[in-house]
Amino acid sequence: MICGRARTMAVLCVALVLVASHVHAQTAGDAARAEFRDDVHAAAGLTCPACHTDGGYAARPRTAIAPLCATCHSDAAFMRRFDPQVRVDQFLQYQTSTHGRRMASGETRVATCTDCHGAHGVRRVRDPRSPVAPLNVAATCGRCHADASRMRAFGREPAPPHDWSASVHAAALLKRGDTSAPTCVACHGSHGATPPGVTSVANVCAQCHLREAELFRASPKKDIFDAIGQAECLVCHGNHRIEAPGDAWVGVEAGAVCEQCHDGTGDSGTIIRRMRTQLDELSGAASAADAVLTRAEHAGMLVDDGRLALRDAREQQVQSRVLVHAFAAEPFSTAATRGLTSVRSARDAGEAALRELQVRRRGLAVATLLILAFLVTLGMKIRRLPPSA
Amino acid sequence: MPRLRPWLEERLPLSDLIQTLRRKTVPHHRYSLWYYFGGTTLFLFGIQVGTGALLLLYYRPSAAEAYESVQFIVTRVPFGWLVRSIHAWAANLMVASAFAHLFSVLFLHAYRRPRELTWVSGVILLLLTLAFGFTGYLLPWNEVSFFATRVGTDIAATVPLIGHGLVRFMRGGNDVTGATLTRLFGFHVAILPALATALVALHLLLVQRHGMSVPPSVERRAAENGQTIRAIPFLPHFLLRDLFAWTAVLALLAGLSTFYPWELGAKADPFAAAPAGIRPEWYFLWAFETLKHVPATIAGVSGELIAVGAMGLGALAALGLPFLARDTPRARRVVLWAGLGALGFMGAMTGLALAGGMP
Amino acid sequence: MAHVEDQGGRRRLLNWLLGIWGGGVVGSICYPVVRYLSPPDIPEAATLSVGAGSARSLAPNSGRVVPFGSRPAIVIRTPAGDVRAFSATCTHLDCTVQYRPDLQRIWCACHNGQYDLNGRNVAGPPPRPLDEYDVNVKDDEIAIARRS
Repeated sequence: MICGRARTMAVLCVALVLVASHVHAQTAGDAARAEFRDDVHAAAGLTCPACHTDGGYAARPRTAIAPLCATCHSDAAFMRRFDPQVRVDQFLQYQTSTHGRRMASGETRVATCTDCHGAHGVRRVRDPRSPVAPLNVAATCGRCHADASRMRAFGREPAPPHDWSASVHAAALLKRGDTSAPTCVACHGSHGATPPGVTSVANVCAQCHLREAELFRASPKKDIFDAIGQAECLVCHGNHRIEAPGDAWVGVEAGAVCEQCHDGTGDSGTIIRRMRTQLDELSGAASAADAVLTRAEHAGMLVDDGRLALRDAREQQVQSRVLVHAFAAEPFSTAATRGLTSVRSARDAGEAALRELQVRRRGLAVATLLILAFLVTLGMKIRRLPPSA
Repeated sequence: MPRLRPWLEERLPLSDLIQTLRRKTVPHHRYSLWYYFGGTTLFLFGIQVGTGALLLLYYRPSAAEAYESVQFIVTRVPFGWLVRSIHAWAANLMVASAFAHLFSVLFLHAYRRPRELTWVSGVILLLLTLAFGFTGYLLPWNEVSFFATRVGTDIAATVPLIGHGLVRFMRGGNDVTGATLTRLFGFHVAILPALATALVALHLLLVQRHGMSVPPSVERRAAENGQTIRAIPFLPHFLLRDLFAWTAVLALLAGLSTFYPWELGAKADPFAAAPAGIRPEWYFLWAFETLKHVPATIAGVSGELIAVGAMGLGALAALGLPFLARDTPRARRVVLWAGLGALGFMGAMTGLALAGGMP
Repeated sequence: MAHVEDQGGRRRLLNWLLGIWGGGVVGSICYPVVRYLSPPDIPEAATLSVGAGSARSLAPNSGRVVPFGSRPAIVIRTPAGDVRAFSATCTHLDCTVQYRPDLQRIWCACHNGQYDLNGRNVAGPPPRPLDEYDVNVKDDEIAIARRS
């Protein structure tokens, strides 16, 4: 006989495995249930069977997730009951997106609804804890798009999320909390996420940088760029790693942005050089005027009109930098000249205040000399007093 | 016009006054230079009253307007910058002069009988001067003064039993706010001046009554040589010398206002973090520095409490000096060393604070 | 004898000089005090209340930027005729705003931010409304003051 001990061991092992798997299933289910408590669907009165329609709780095939969500989220009449204003075109958009098209062809390594929104703890977009809240979007996209091994499988670079995080837009959003700053979805779309076409990305930039876009489109550059098939804003400013532009970008020396195409000859070279000179002049003069005004203020002088003039000069400086996008001598030159005039009056106000300080010193010095003369004379008188008894 | 003098003399005790002054003499010896510090303190007090009254014409004692009104004074009011600079500098000079006066009286033992009340009123006047400095410092409502006031009033919390109530009394609440400004303003322009004027009047009356004290060493030397102590007439010798001293102080004030005009600073923001290196005015630095160096506990009692207690005891000892110290050479030596010790300690602590504060 | 007369002469000179210098010192004290006592042209700090020009010349649906201390303020007259005043510093990145009669809104040229006629940020990046100032019109002069 196979000993009773071996048989007992076998029974025990089977029992252990059954219990273990049961316990494991219980833990996963508990986790999902706990997450679901914070879910926006739970708040709307939906329960597990609303999505787990077949009664089992096994994971769905990834290609079936989006169509499942769409059964409600594309049904306008149904969604109206919960939020009359909510959009119902997310699935349509998804189907036009790169993620959607690949998923439809069977490639499951791309994003679908639950990858970004979560499965059991779905929160509203405006909830700051949601993975798709403005402050969290870049991190969510970055889970795949910054992963080198994932991206290599598709022949893509993992650089964009990292590049974006070094941009002025990331700084505005994450450091200053400016939620109007663009994240991935602002330019690429969220549900219809696709890299914007070379000719259309500038439309996105133009939503906030309206003035620059208008100037560019009215300038000679527009036709040239269209002809050579170059994107408007991207050539000079980049697409992900958009850094703060500097006056030094304008120029024909090595390292300047214009130098990418312009070699410094002809009218264009002259205009570029002149622009750069004026920009540098304005910047230097504004700093110098600020230093003078600060010195006067710390000494206790009133320089309100100087500060106003400097403020106006800074506005003209911003205007000039915007007007660079007209790529012509005028109206840039007018703005720069106006700026220089304001800087001059700011500096004059500061220097007048400092001169007034010197006038005060001289006046006080005279008074002090008078007092000292009085002292000396008094001292002499005291010496000449008759000696006391 | 010639009838003016008899007209006045009929109504006011002018001739008595002039006769008294004509007869009055002031001792003249190697230490009589120190006699002038009382007068310079009085002169500076007069300047403070005058410039303070002028500042009152334009200053607004509310948190919303104080800083702007001081800015207005120094930028828009003709010579406002001068009045304000003089007021700020004269305050510092007055504290220095008051300390010089106190220590010179201490070392020359002029607190002895019958001048005990003069001494007591003088010590109280010194404390009032420090209170003037403390209350006035907040009034421009700039960053430095706001945080210095907060730190300074925090120290009051260490006094046992009444500490918390004392802080609330000084701040007009639990924190330094606009209420503190209004309260300290009231102290600075009404309550303290009233007390100070009364005490100054008493102090001067007593000085007139008892005349200038002669230091024991001078008395002894005169007795040994069989000479009388040399004296100069009040009119015109001492008065002219006094005028000289006062004019010298005026010249010093003018020079300081010319070369080191008082800064306006940045407006106080109660919700901002305290900037690094906040410290009170120089005459409180020694106390501040002492509290920084005191260990957290000494024999189980809070170190801060012991330090504040010691300072309080010191002040009480100073106040009661004439009653504690007898007029014997040995007692006078003790007073001399105690005075030197106090001066040395305060000087060393001030030096430490200044050295530590330098970036 | 001459010696005594010399002494008398020298004493007179000394007293005379003392009088001159003393008068100078007294004068250099009295002159600033007298000047200080006369009120300055602008009686109140320009950071608290400021004149903003003629009311008649401010047409309905128009605005103008005026200095308020060292910062700009914008005074507008709504199409309905109300005069309102706000800080003209855009709450986004500190550019100076202007009035756009075609939009009937306060507009910032830098990033296309817009504020309604109550100063509330209604379009574009600005995160906060514009600070509002108190407006008083007296004898055709508009006076704007910080809200206390």
